[in-house]
Amino acid sequence: MGGYMHIAVLAKVVPDYEVPAGDFELSDNRAHSRYTRMMGLYDENAIETGVQLKEKYSASLTIISYGAEDDIPVLRKAIAMGAEKLVLVTGQSDDASVIAANLKMAIDNLGDVDLILAGQQSADMDRGVVHGTLAEMLGLTFIPQVSKIESENGGWKISQLTETGSRDLQFNGKGVFSITSIPENVPRIPAVRAIFAAKKKPVEKVAEVESNAMGIEEVSVEIPTMDSVCEFLPVEDVGETVKTLLTKLREERYL
Amino acid sequence: MKTLIVEIIEPKRLGELVTVSKEFCDTPDIVALGAGDVPGVYNKAWQTEETISANLVPAIAELIQKEEYQVVLFSASTVGAGLAGPVAAKLSASVVSEVIGIEPDLVVRRPMYGGKAVATYKITATPAILTIRRKYFEPAELEGTTAAETLTIAEPLVSLIAEKQEKSEGVPLEDAEVVVSGGRGMGGPDNFSMLQEMAEILKGAVGASRGAVDEGWAAPTLQIGQTGKIVAPGVYFAVGISGASQHLAGIANAKCVVAINKDEEANIFKRARFGIIADYKKIMPALNNVLREE
Ligand SMILES: Cc1cc2nc3c(=O)[nH]c(=O)nc-3n(C[C@H](O)[C@H](O)[C@H](O)COP(=O)(O)OP(=O)(O)OC[C@H]3O[C@@H](n4cnc5c(N)ncnc54)[C@H](O)[C@@H]3O)c2cc1C
Repeated sequence: MGGYMHIAVLAKVVPDYEVPAGDFELSDNRAHSRYTRMMGLYDENAIETGVQLKEKYSASLTIISYGAEDDIPVLRKAIAMGAEKLVLVTGQSDDASVIAANLKMAIDNLGDVDLILAGQQSADMDRGVVHGTLAEMLGLTFIPQVSKIESENGGWKISQLTETGSRDLQFNGKGVFSITSIPENVPRIPAVRAIFAAKKKPVEKVAEVESNAMGIEEVSVEIPTMDSVCEFLPVEDVGETVKTLLTKLREERYL
Repeated sequence: MKTLIVEIIEPKRLGELVTVSKEFCDTPDIVALGAGDVPGVYNKAWQTEETISANLVPAIAELIQKEEYQVVLFSASTVGAGLAGPVAAKLSASVVSEVIGIEPDLVVRRPMYGGKAVATYKITATPAILTIRRKYFEPAELEGTTAAETLTIAEPLVSLIAEKQEKSEGVPLEDAEVVVSGGRGMGGPDNFSMLQEMAEILKGAVGASRGAVDEGWAAPTLQIGQTGKIVAPGVYFAVGISGASQHLAGIANAKCVVAINKDEEANIFKRARFGIIADYKKIMPALNNVLREE
């Protein structure tokens, strides 16, 4: 690595991911436009990780997004958290390959990126494909579900969460890591002053490049119905409540 | 269609992929990851002890190209997540992740918006790479074993320094018939012992929401949901869990959900079969008392 470290974090603005199923509506196969726009949750974990690495290694930190200009005010939160630069490639494709090709263009333009962080999966597409696709397009190593990163002898020491525990990995070179959530990367809440300062930072806007979409046709998007009817148990006498519950569970052969 | 399975040697995970492969072919081929016999019957089998996805990408992409596979199946797991994007990009293949339903002619379904919607796709170009969400397909019984050829891996880029298994006593979470899960409403790590006690008596396992994992009260391996474990127990106890769609995504196939939450408006009650609107600190000790006495 050269004199300094340059980290890029990929972030995506999505419709409010906390809207409960009962209030969720589609229009044209996408979330209705009335929901608040916000940064994806894992993307915030990735930004937090990026900011921590910046602080530890005096790195520079650039946020890269592919999406709509209207979402710039939301993306500024990343600046308020501690990034110094924001690049937005304007486009509206949901195709993983198209998104990755455009993010690649933005990264190529920056020229000197050492490490690329992304959220484990976006909070709208539930997919976890873009970052791995991008890594291969860039010819870089991709490691998913990364929880901790340390720079070590010009390479990286990484912890990865797996189904059964965790792994410590090591490699030399540049990489793309998808970031999972751990207590240590719960996103910080930016100070009011930082939020105001972030509003004045310039945003670099780049037009999207043409690229091939994957051979996938979206046939339909539907909202599945949840038709569980909850039987509420009276709670005046807790001893009775729990006995009733256990009896019912056994009668219906769940226990 | 010529189909390849790539998965760690673990009978349930392999079995689910074998079940899915029947939609596309009679007998699939396999790349089995890890040591030991390859359970089940395949046309052709390859094996490698390498399980770090980054090190596997070149060899697997090459194999798909050479053998002209039309469908490639991974589990939606750490390994599958590490392989799907890079392998697809290498081959200009189509990739659909987290698949929960399959229809003829490469029509597949997957969740969107934290599981609040389900999208249906028709894949129009092969090879098609699918990662299959756990617990949505009944695992096939794998009989016998298949002799495997070694899959040659190039000089590894990423090296494994240490592997840590999260300690788990009793029944594995994904196999448990009873799961007792705690959320942010637990208020701290100590009270998880109440859940542990109940799980022990009922020979079940303890789970957690992302809320509880983010707080550091439960290990990440206990997280249930879209990005945690997918479980399908007989009974699922959700204690102090609001029931966000991303959490519900992990319990879609649970037969009976019991919700204990002090907020009657909590979304979990829309999924629950039985609901108790109360402070869990009153309910859980009473439940454990009755269970202990029995
Ligand atoms: C892309 C993405 C992926 C995600 N993946 C997952 C996932 O895999 N799993 C997951 O769980 N979440 C996931 N989430 C997060 C999810 O959206 C919610 O934030 C999370 O599930 C909330 O956890 P919780 O219910 O424990 O906390 P909260 O939403 O804070 O709910 C706590 C509940 O406890 C109740 N409570 C408080 N005190 C008491 C008491 N004394 N007695 C009884 N009840 C009490 C409250 O009424 C409340 O309902 C994901 C989010 C995104 C965006």
